[in-house]
Amino acid sequence: MKQIEEFLTGRVWLRNFTPFTKEQIDKAVSDGSVSVSPGITDGRQCARCLEKSTKKIVPFFCAACNAICYYCRHCIKMGRISSCTELITWALPSTISPQSHSFHWNGSLTPLQQRASQEVQASLLQKNDHLVYAVCGAGKTELLFPPIFDALKKGKRVCLAAPRTDVVLELTPRLRNVFPNTTIHSLYGNSPEESGFASLVIATTHQLYRFEDAFDVMIVDEADAFPYSYDPALKRAVIKAKKKDAPIVYVSATPSADLLKQVSHTSRIFQRFHGHPLPVPEFRSLWRYDKDFAKGKIPAKLAAWVDEKIQKDEPFLVFFPTIELIEQAIVLFQKKHPGIQAVHSKDEDRKEKVMKLRERKIPGVLTSTILERGITIPNVQVAVVGADQPIFDAAALIQIAGRAGRSIDYPDGSVIFFHNGIVRQMDKAKKLIVSYNRGGAL
Amino acid sequence: MNCYLCDRDMPLQVSWRSIFFNELESVICHRCRSSFEPIAGGCPICSASGDGLCQNCCQWETTEYAGLIDSGKCLYRYNPPMKDFLHQYKFLKDAVLSEVFAAMLKEVLDGQKSIVVPIPMNENKLKERTFSQVDRLLDTASVPYLHLLGKNEVGLGGKSKSERMALEDVFWWNGKPAPEKVLLFDDLYTTGSTMRLAAKVLKENGVKEIKVLALIRA
Repeated sequence: MKQIEEFLTGRVWLRNFTPFTKEQIDKAVSDGSVSVSPGITDGRQCARCLEKSTKKIVPFFCAACNAICYYCRHCIKMGRISSCTELITWALPSTISPQSHSFHWNGSLTPLQQRASQEVQASLLQKNDHLVYAVCGAGKTELLFPPIFDALKKGKRVCLAAPRTDVVLELTPRLRNVFPNTTIHSLYGNSPEESGFASLVIATTHQLYRFEDAFDVMIVDEADAFPYSYDPALKRAVIKAKKKDAPIVYVSATPSADLLKQVSHTSRIFQRFHGHPLPVPEFRSLWRYDKDFAKGKIPAKLAAWVDEKIQKDEPFLVFFPTIELIEQAIVLFQKKHPGIQAVHSKDEDRKEKVMKLRERKIPGVLTSTILERGITIPNVQVAVVGADQPIFDAAALIQIAGRAGRSIDYPDGSVIFFHNGIVRQMDKAKKLIVSYNRGGAL
Repeated sequence: MNCYLCDRDMPLQVSWRSIFFNELESVICHRCRSSFEPIAGGCPICSASGDGLCQNCCQWETTEYAGLIDSGKCLYRYNPPMKDFLHQYKFLKDAVLSEVFAAMLKEVLDGQKSIVVPIPMNENKLKERTFSQVDRLLDTASVPYLHLLGKNEVGLGGKSKSERMALEDVFWWNGKPAPEKVLLFDDLYTTGSTMRLAAKVLKENGVKEIKVLALIRA
């Protein structure tokens, strides 16, 4: 029974898909410790992801019920929820005894990080939402360590959510090192099963559909990133997963205007942890680059840039606006150097390829916007092809430029925006980067 | 509306054909549509690549199942996008995905002289899955069909061809009068065992001519 409580506390789960036997769950339901609710509510809303659009909550003839049932297409990848599926949650007050936590970290915070860290902690105490607005490479994760530890010590349950699996995978080992005695669950699509009750949950925002009224502190990392920024269901999931009065800490290098307006308590860090300025992007024209690629030719200026990086033995990333263009380009780049690789969102070997670039086993990677954030490669040189394309908004361009010069050994790095005409988003990105380097003055 | 598969917004396409011929509206985008590979030609029973009867079907002709199937066709290859599709339809139980191939199936099966007989699902399995993926493909395409078979509780998945051939009593006749010509329909053709086991029961009960059709050739 204790295991069921640990598993189900703060969670909404499909009754037929738990790690427990049917008899165990039936018994817990009949003695009232687990409550049952329908997967689709009377108002035709999905009780897990809260979707209610008629495009996503669709009817079908259900052979189990011999009647019309509705199911939710929005969260179907997590196991289908229909009118006749039952969701269960722990119904009794918690009997889970508090864990002891320890904090193992040898690093130190810069004065700017220190101040932001204290401001976050103060907001958490007062249960205020807070925004950490800090440039790429400012050391956002580290400054969260002390407030997280403080909350854990007080017996609070903390969630660190990020829109992308890559970020969750990157954060998990770091937090496990820093909080070695804490039960930490790392949750993303197809993540391995975890056991026990986690005081600290690191999860993709998607996984929060499976929580309800669970967390005392909610931290949303990369709060401006796709798909969180784009999908209102994920914002609802964050609200649903936390307890009603629990504060949310948003962390972002490129917060949207809405987020800046919505959150009144903000800490700003416009300097990297190593103190060097952010690399400022340089604009270079690359007229009608798409025509060149279509003709089976790498545009001359881009070819020259890549040749130079290969010759100097500097790792490079080239960002492209579409998968189609990457597919055209990779064939041509591999003629230059067979080691060059391409990645995109559906590439299962993405992690390995990035690792190879970091280990200098391959000279460079062509990529979609999928690598715009969360990755650190010492001395990486960055180019964007088609920086004028709408997919590269100012936030994306700032994130991409933020890949360069992150390590203290190589604080510079070239960032080139190859374009077919300068557009406002490019200007905006460059202006913001220059302003950060001046300490935030526009 | 948004594409059923990639969820991207699709511009509404209205053509004279769509107005006058009441064509089924596509529920997936052009990009997803073109990721599926239709099969042209191939084996006259199962559409496997190559000329004439494929090796697999030739081998069937050396067994007691020889001559059961007169001809057949599979419509698409089991490429990665098709695997994703079938996974989402059948195992994630995204029932509305039957609409994706409705127009195609209607075109292929319209004017069919044989009686369409779907490969049935076991009753318990049906309750578990909540819909029959094979029947639903036909329902959505508005193709009339007749169930002549029932199925015992054995799954063929994960079994080798010789193991599958040993399974005699997978299907049983449901007692309805036998039509002369039957077209057996299934979602996925892998080794051909399902079709032959079903065809054998049909022929034993009076069906004279059997064609087979599967949406996908694995």
